[in-house]
Amino acid sequence: MDFSERKLALSHEILMQVEKPSQYTGGELNSVMKKADQVKVRFAMCFPDIYEIGMSHLGMQILYGLMNTYEDVWCERVFSPWKDLDAIMRRDHIPLFALESQDPVKEFDFLGMTLQYEMCYANILQVLDLAGIPFHATERNEEDPIVIGGGPCVYNTEPIAEFFDMFYIGEGEVMYRRLFDLYEECKEKGISRQEFLHKATQIEGIYVPSLYDVEYNEDGTLKSMTPKYEDVPERVRKVLVKDMDASYYPEKPVVPFIRAAQDRAVLEVQRGCIRGCRFCQAGQIYKPVRERNVDTLMKHAEAILQNTGYEEISLSSLSTSDHSGLKELLEELIGECNRRKINISLPSLRIDAFSLDVMNKVQDVKKNSLTFAPEAGSQRMRNVINKGLTQDDILNGATLAFKGGWNKVKLYFMLGLPFEQEDDVRAIAELCNEIAKVYYETVPKDQRNGRVQITASSSFFVPKPFTAFQWAPMDTMEHFLDKASLCKRSVREQLNQKSITYHYHEAGTTIIEGIFARGDRKVAAAIEWAYKDGALFDAWTEQFSYERWIKAFEECGVDYENYIFRERGEDELFPWDYVDCGVKKEWLLNEWRRARQEVTTSNCRDKCSGCGCASYQCGICVKKR
Amino acid sequence: MQRLRLCKLSVWDLCEEKMSITVRFKFARKGPVRYLGHLDMLRYFQKAVMRSGIPAKYTEGFHPHQIMSFAYPLGVAMETDGDYMDLELTEEVSPEELSDALNAVMQEGIRICGAARLPEKAPNAMASVAAADYEIHVDGAHPEKLQDVLMTAAVNLMKEEVLLLGKPQEDATSSADHRKKGSKKEKKAKDIRPGILSLTAEEREPVLRMRLLSGSALNVRPADVFSLLAERVPEEELCAVRIIRKEIYGEKDGAFVPLLDMGAEA
Repeated sequence: MDFSERKLALSHEILMQVEKPSQYTGGELNSVMKKADQVKVRFAMCFPDIYEIGMSHLGMQILYGLMNTYEDVWCERVFSPWKDLDAIMRRDHIPLFALESQDPVKEFDFLGMTLQYEMCYANILQVLDLAGIPFHATERNEEDPIVIGGGPCVYNTEPIAEFFDMFYIGEGEVMYRRLFDLYEECKEKGISRQEFLHKATQIEGIYVPSLYDVEYNEDGTLKSMTPKYEDVPERVRKVLVKDMDASYYPEKPVVPFIRAAQDRAVLEVQRGCIRGCRFCQAGQIYKPVRERNVDTLMKHAEAILQNTGYEEISLSSLSTSDHSGLKELLEELIGECNRRKINISLPSLRIDAFSLDVMNKVQDVKKNSLTFAPEAGSQRMRNVINKGLTQDDILNGATLAFKGGWNKVKLYFMLGLPFEQEDDVRAIAELCNEIAKVYYETVPKDQRNGRVQITASSSFFVPKPFTAFQWAPMDTMEHFLDKASLCKRSVREQLNQKSITYHYHEAGTTIIEGIFARGDRKVAAAIEWAYKDGALFDAWTEQFSYERWIKAFEECGVDYENYIFRERGEDELFPWDYVDCGVKKEWLLNEWRRARQEVTTSNCRDKCSGCGCASYQCGICVKKR
Repeated sequence: MQRLRLCKLSVWDLCEEKMSITVRFKFARKGPVRYLGHLDMLRYFQKAVMRSGIPAKYTEGFHPHQIMSFAYPLGVAMETDGDYMDLELTEEVSPEELSDALNAVMQEGIRICGAARLPEKAPNAMASVAAADYEIHVDGAHPEKLQDVLMTAAVNLMKEEVLLLGKPQEDATSSADHRKKGSKKEKKAKDIRPGILSLTAEEREPVLRMRLLSGSALNVRPADVFSLLAERVPEEELCAVRIIRKEIYGEKDGAFVPLLDMGAEA
């Protein structure tokens, strides 16, 4: 029998001391082994959080699969070691390693980090620290890997800019090949790291922060950001996939042994969103919406199920209901999945007659709850945020659902949205009450399966770059908590209060996330300070310390309130303005004004509102409406 | 009440089913994949069966799943040459074809070493387990005389008439309060000596071999036997580097028979 004795970076003794040791041993189905001496580029792809979170991320699977189709490149995976192993690695001086080869990350050509949420920023430093790579790009030498960042957080890189040699702005499928070609060429010719970084700025989507001079005004706002060389572009344009049907999709994704957060096959039906909700960053940065056609999707689905053995498949996108071929896709998929005994999970579907019918076919009505995301309680607020969902839509959806046998409803709201007033907060409770009322009016007493269960939860709003609300002030901690308790009180005042449960998210995380989201290069010092003080895994509530972060800003002299609590001027230069994501600043500003006037804007399918993304000449922008 | 009714229903359903086809697979696991827990192994095999195209039988309902059961959960880090998994099928396929189909989709370190159709009404794998063989690879403070140390220790251990495992009562004397809290959880010291059917050390390499009872009456774990042995020669600082389950046996006419042979239709 051929039992592979792949070497491991960690000894048996250590593996027996840590939680879920198999998260560190690799060897999963569809993971790719190559010979290190037979490739020219070794790429360590890192998701700076634990394995179970990182392995659930589709973007990483796409890039891992794509890069490994290149014969000269070996892409391996790296995750944040949990605190138990972190302590052991520091104690025993074990360098951070990649899962496949188990080789130290420091030996790689590239260390790529996917930055999916701001609360992973301390983990970036953990990864560099354990890998033995200097924190600051300027301190690295020819021996260190090129540290490159990608993912949605690159739409404001500045708080973490000095930790990276370069950022990749846009969708990973497009430019890595060119970057590797350039790297190989430079390596062969013995061209220095600095020169390579300089040359890389000629590739669209590549941003090298060290090649810009940044100046600030006396009030702390950005004065200017100037390229150090003439050939370095002033603005870096996002790159994107133009034809989703022709682009690479991982039909052999790595299947974790241990249960990951997303333990199922994932089918990305489209990228982008037509909706234009004013609070939503994803809605803007992934524009324009680009669909995969049903044939492509079915081909991917069949291959993935065959290659993984998953017992569930999930449709993924920002708003799956908006896919123009959804009906046809679901018909085919349900047929295929029934044949294979596979479950279908359908997140992000709008609740209407069609989706309820589909869910009836694929889910156990009694067990599942239905989810609505009205985001705001009053129609006035929903107009402000341009959420094209009316109270009638919600109540009609609920009526249909209750008739169909559902009696659990989840509702998601945000508190602290711009121009929010007390009545808007109370409206959240009132909307919940109305939904409960619909249940008791719709379902006769003898057919009720107990009380209707309405679970409302609210998060606190964080203004993000490249949204209409990038000018908006954020609520203070005090305001957040006042609003949450007002909402709670209002729920208790409702007639059907016993059917309603209300939760709200942690406010401290929100404040820190807000600072990272719209901060500038001055924030970096505080991140380093907090990391050295023990900040790690801040996305995990029990690991997060608000006091530590506030102390970090104070110790480093960072005027953090200036990033979040003031309304920004219409002509202010933002730290992220160097990115050209297609959506024009003037258009966003107009959206900000319309929000104030409570005027809605049409979605991309109904009518083009001229955001600027048509310059990409793809997706819905070139489709006949 | 609700639960009872459900149970009755499912038994009724089973009675109405046609003859069930259950196949027992013997598998091995070695190398890095040994750090998987039991549930991860279960999920691994479910996916492997899916990929292999074996005609597995599924439960009814919104979340159909395969009817799969294991003889003996494999602990984290334990290797095996002989563990067992039972799977229900919807149609008859030859054991060789089934093994080949699964081996074609196996991951590094996991192999199917055999398969056999179970006779009708055979007890499931877990209920059949009576004993198991283990091999423990040992490291210690004095590598040059390790084999001798192990051989003597093994012989001496087997000479003892009683081998108590678990906390003796006088250990929990710290405080009355503490005793109260812990009293329910506190395990009674258990004599595992009757469960050690054999224990020997290899002459050529530092390896212990043992056959241990593994039933519901007395279930002896190899790590426990090893720690009892190591406790008796503390100066040697013995540690178990690898524990390998070599075989699992059922009982048939008073003899131990490998679980796979229990499946073979005579």
